[in-house]
Amino acid sequence: MTRLSKLPPGMRYYLGAEARLRRSVEDTAMSVFEGWSYEEVLTPSLDYYALFEHGMGQTEAQTSFRFSDSDGQMLSLRPDITSSVARVAATLLAERERPLRLCYAAPVFRRQQQSHAEWRRENTQLGCELIGVSGAAADLEVLLVAAEILKSIGLADSFCITINDVGIFNGLLKQLSTQSQPHEILRRLIDTRDRGELKSFLDRNCDNASIREAFSKLIELTGKQEILADARRVITNPDSVAALDRLGRLWEVIESLGLDNSFEIDLADVSSLDYYTGISFKVFIQGLGYRVGRGGRYDGLTANFGRSEPAVGFVLSLDSLVEVLGESTSVNGKGDPAKSIQAGELRETFLTAVTERSRKQRIRISTNL
Amino acid sequence: MITIAISKGRMQDDALALLSKAGVRLSPASLASRRLSLPDETGEYRFIFVKPADVPVYVEHGIADCGIVGRDVLLESEADVLLPLDLGIARCRIVVAALDPKVITRSFGMLRIATKYVRIASEHFGARGIPVEIIPLSGSVELAPALGLSDAIVDLVETGQTLKENGLCIVEVIRESTGLLVLNRASYQLKAGDITRLTNALNGAIEGVTAA
Repeated sequence: MTRLSKLPPGMRYYLGAEARLRRSVEDTAMSVFEGWSYEEVLTPSLDYYALFEHGMGQTEAQTSFRFSDSDGQMLSLRPDITSSVARVAATLLAERERPLRLCYAAPVFRRQQQSHAEWRRENTQLGCELIGVSGAAADLEVLLVAAEILKSIGLADSFCITINDVGIFNGLLKQLSTQSQPHEILRRLIDTRDRGELKSFLDRNCDNASIREAFSKLIELTGKQEILADARRVITNPDSVAALDRLGRLWEVIESLGLDNSFEIDLADVSSLDYYTGISFKVFIQGLGYRVGRGGRYDGLTANFGRSEPAVGFVLSLDSLVEVLGESTSVNGKGDPAKSIQAGELRETFLTAVTERSRKQRIRISTNL
Repeated sequence: MITIAISKGRMQDDALALLSKAGVRLSPASLASRRLSLPDETGEYRFIFVKPADVPVYVEHGIADCGIVGRDVLLESEADVLLPLDLGIARCRIVVAALDPKVITRSFGMLRIATKYVRIASEHFGARGIPVEIIPLSGSVELAPALGLSDAIVDLVETGQTLKENGLCIVEVIRESTGLLVLNRASYQLKAGDITRLTNALNGAIEGVTAA
């Protein structure tokens, strides 16, 4: 028998200052969302596995905790919130005026391999979705919401958001005349910047020298605005160029808002191509070895639920944010010191207590042990 | 400061020699010491010496910004790290070896494979639908076939001398393995300048240009 004192791997308590810090970061994020007119949505903790399989893709959905319902249907503890939000947008909120602005703060559950740095089997996501509008205005809006949250919790000088547009890579792929499996290999080699393997892969699979050059150049294209010009020198197909133009327009606004120190363009970030359809981004913070959030445009997502419409959004991991903020951050919420009430005769004690509480006085009842 | 995790053992000397060519040097006094965490001469870099399999772990967690480790170790680990530079050091091959060169084609049942590379072995045979029982060992793998523990082994081979002395021959070469520079994903974004400088210096050192 398992000892009752033992916790399942990856599960933990949050106590005292850490619990207060979590609450305060969550409240700050929710008030920023509210400030941009996002409406909170609470989604079911338990849902059909099929929802997540369509919403996240099979590989990601398979990390969920799964079990079967009494009728044999496969259920999942939710491994993400976005899938469920996309469904409600296409169903219950189908008739609601667009754009929809929805936000959430809720735990998700995944059966991660313990070897990974980002290993948390329960993780609270702070996120939002802007549904029903495409284009630069919507992309910028969610980027700026993310930046404001990071600033509001005191990380103004330490966050870095890397942006990419998956159209650049997809445009290059179209020029290759190979099937889907090499695409997946190519995606992985570029994502991990595996220069050596990439070269030998391209030598084997691509006989066009200029496309080979474009793919190998991609892994060096990380930086500020100047890399867009570098990219244009080797990437000339119309789809990729259109995506470079979109990224260029976003960057101009980011720069004019004075945020270019906190942003970076990373054309080799092709980690979730099957999911995103336009801009994609990742959030990093000084002092943390792995990303704290990600987001992007997924115009294909709601089509799974019978209504195809553009959507863009992001999630930040509350757990990672709290880890980097640590206990150094002062957490308010303590307020006035508690007034001590000595427990005596029950009626009298609690009459005092209730009266003090009706005046919002903080109290602490002391009992003789 | 940039922290570099170095694989102890087989690759250590080659890695340090290449870094030194790239201008990142440990002082002779440091080299002679037995400390596992050392600053370089300039104080811009810190070296940590860990077991090969632990290099990707330190790098993925961001404790080390980068590391030098063999492809064999990376294929075996599931760590999510960037691999921007093949250093070409400690070149060797990951092979299937057996007493009987025809062992794979002869067997239609369960092939027993002893190895330190459980993941590589299971992917190699899995891709061709060959049923295998993997027997994980942590060393002296070459003994297993001769003693009857397994039909074949999957192991790293440099010269082939150990195989030969234990009566084994190479049945298949799975792939070549060399030392790579690996990077933490966050460090790549957050310390871009320092990381690029190191990558360029190493690239120069590989191409034979010695840094001043």
